[in-house]
Amino acid sequence: MSLKSEIPIFEVKQLSFRVREQLILENVSFEIFSGEYIAIIGPNGGGKTTLIRLLLNLEKQTSGEIKIFGKKLKDFKEWYKIGYVPQRATLVDETFPATVEDIVKMGRVARRGIFAGMSSEDKAKVHDAMQKMDILDLKDKMVGTLSGGQRQRVMIARALASSPKILILDEPNTGVDMVSQQRFYGLLGKLNKEENITILFITHDIGVIADDIGRLFTINRKATICNDPKKLLSCDEVSDLYGIPAHSLANHKHEH
Amino acid sequence: MFEMLSYDFMQRAFIAGLFIATLASISGTFVVLKRYSLMSETLAHSALVGVAIGLVAGYNPLWVAVVISILSAWLIEYLRSSFSIYSDAVLSIMLSGSLALAVIIVSLGGAFNNSLFSYLFGSILSVSNADVYTIVGFGSISLAFLLLFSKELYFIAYDEEVAKTSGIKVKFLNFLLVTVVAIIIALSIRVVGSLLIGALMVIPTVAALQYRVGFRNTMFIALFFALFSVIFGMSLSYYFSLPSGATIVLSVIAIFIISLLINKK
Ligand SMILES: Nc1ncnc2c1ncn2[C@@H]1O[C@H](COP(=O)(O)OP(=O)(O)OP(=O)(O)O)[C@@H](O)[C@H]1O
Ligand SMILES: [Mg+2]
Repeated sequence: MSLKSEIPIFEVKQLSFRVREQLILENVSFEIFSGEYIAIIGPNGGGKTTLIRLLLNLEKQTSGEIKIFGKKLKDFKEWYKIGYVPQRATLVDETFPATVEDIVKMGRVARRGIFAGMSSEDKAKVHDAMQKMDILDLKDKMVGTLSGGQRQRVMIARALASSPKILILDEPNTGVDMVSQQRFYGLLGKLNKEENITILFITHDIGVIADDIGRLFTINRKATICNDPKKLLSCDEVSDLYGIPAHSLANHKHEH
Repeated sequence: MFEMLSYDFMQRAFIAGLFIATLASISGTFVVLKRYSLMSETLAHSALVGVAIGLVAGYNPLWVAVVISILSAWLIEYLRSSFSIYSDAVLSIMLSGSLALAVIIVSLGGAFNNSLFSYLFGSILSVSNADVYTIVGFGSISLAFLLLFSKELYFIAYDEEVAKTSGIKVKFLNFLLVTVVAIIIALSIRVVGSLLIGALMVIPTVAALQYRVGFRNTMFIALFFALFSVIFGMSLSYYFSLPSGATIVLSVIAIFIISLLINKK
């Protein structure tokens, strides 16, 4: 596979981010290509969320360059190609008036234009997204009444409804039990393999997913790219990163 | 009950009131979901500055109120999005500041009278033909905006950042929303009064939220509650010669309490 000949989804060069005197990200560079399945790990406060916010133009970098589908962030218009699920997305306000379908339909809003109602294509995409995430039977339920694992699938379905090329998930597994997590990773793997959706996600559960992922980024102010996560547990960087022996990482469960 | 509708002034009051109920409750749904409730209260007090200027300088108070209310909405939204000051603190400062300013303008201009009183608490007797035209004119434009952008505004209320990363013009729509809310508040002070309009905007939605239904149904329920309270409140106002804002607000609070009790788990 000659990855280098195609335009990367993200091209990041010498990216740094500073808040007042504090350097939060330093000289981070990487490329993400279509079809990849990448996990980002790192200690709390390491800058993982910040990196993703920079990629999504929610934060402005201090220096360095970000290109998205070959374009500078400020010139990029096709945001529907990106599906983003932020950290703590599943902790929705219990009283927010939204059914599962209301939320998934949001995924189509930016593509519909001002005057348009839901076209038959919109409806089909919303239906598809709910089907893929296995939440069709929940569609009329209020989101506030769902379990953490169910909400998580609703959030992904919303992101999927715009037919994105890449899914960016920030700790999607917070507050979700082990069984639901396994099922969730199964779904993500399927999206990646069968739908060719690129996946970039932040997690603390590296032991659980080591089999599926293609590459592993570790972020702790600086970034290190681990190209063979099968050898994950021997990656010295990972040990250094958390400052604990690597073997204990394999069983590390992160709960908030 | 229909005997009161044989009076011209009551017909005007009802047209204006039902229009305002519709505007206040639909915009109110977004106001509540975006946690802008205190902002509507603040804008109502800024509108009062406009009323004061209008009364003293002899311009149409409603028009001046619309202008001042829009300007302060922009100021609030600018402060909110550009500085990380606690936004409720900014709002309380502006709220009391506006009230103080309005009182001073009115005192200096010697306009402390019944006319001012009716702008504070609403009055069905004082709705003129010109007021009805102003309310229907500005109100229709505002309503059209709210309905056209309701799906975008709903998405932004749900999660501003996710909406932004989906390509929605969040900043622009937030400014438009506060502008429309400012207009609606200024228009409403004729019938509901500036001290009470915040309640008509916020409470129907808060009551509707108790029923735990989806977005569309929440908005319909809020609209229904607002229309009902305005009809009921204005009738009370007519029969007992009470300020209409007060009777409308007590009606909507009664609906809220009933909704709370019905939906108690
Ligand atoms: N806009 C900002 N202003 C001030 N500090 C910021 C800002 N953005 C990020 N930071 C700081 O940057 C550091 C990294 O935060 P970030 O949320 O990216 O960490 P993280 O790796 O996602 O951590 P976690 O695993 O806890 O989610 C933190 O110390 C945070 O306080
Ligand atoms: Mg984070």
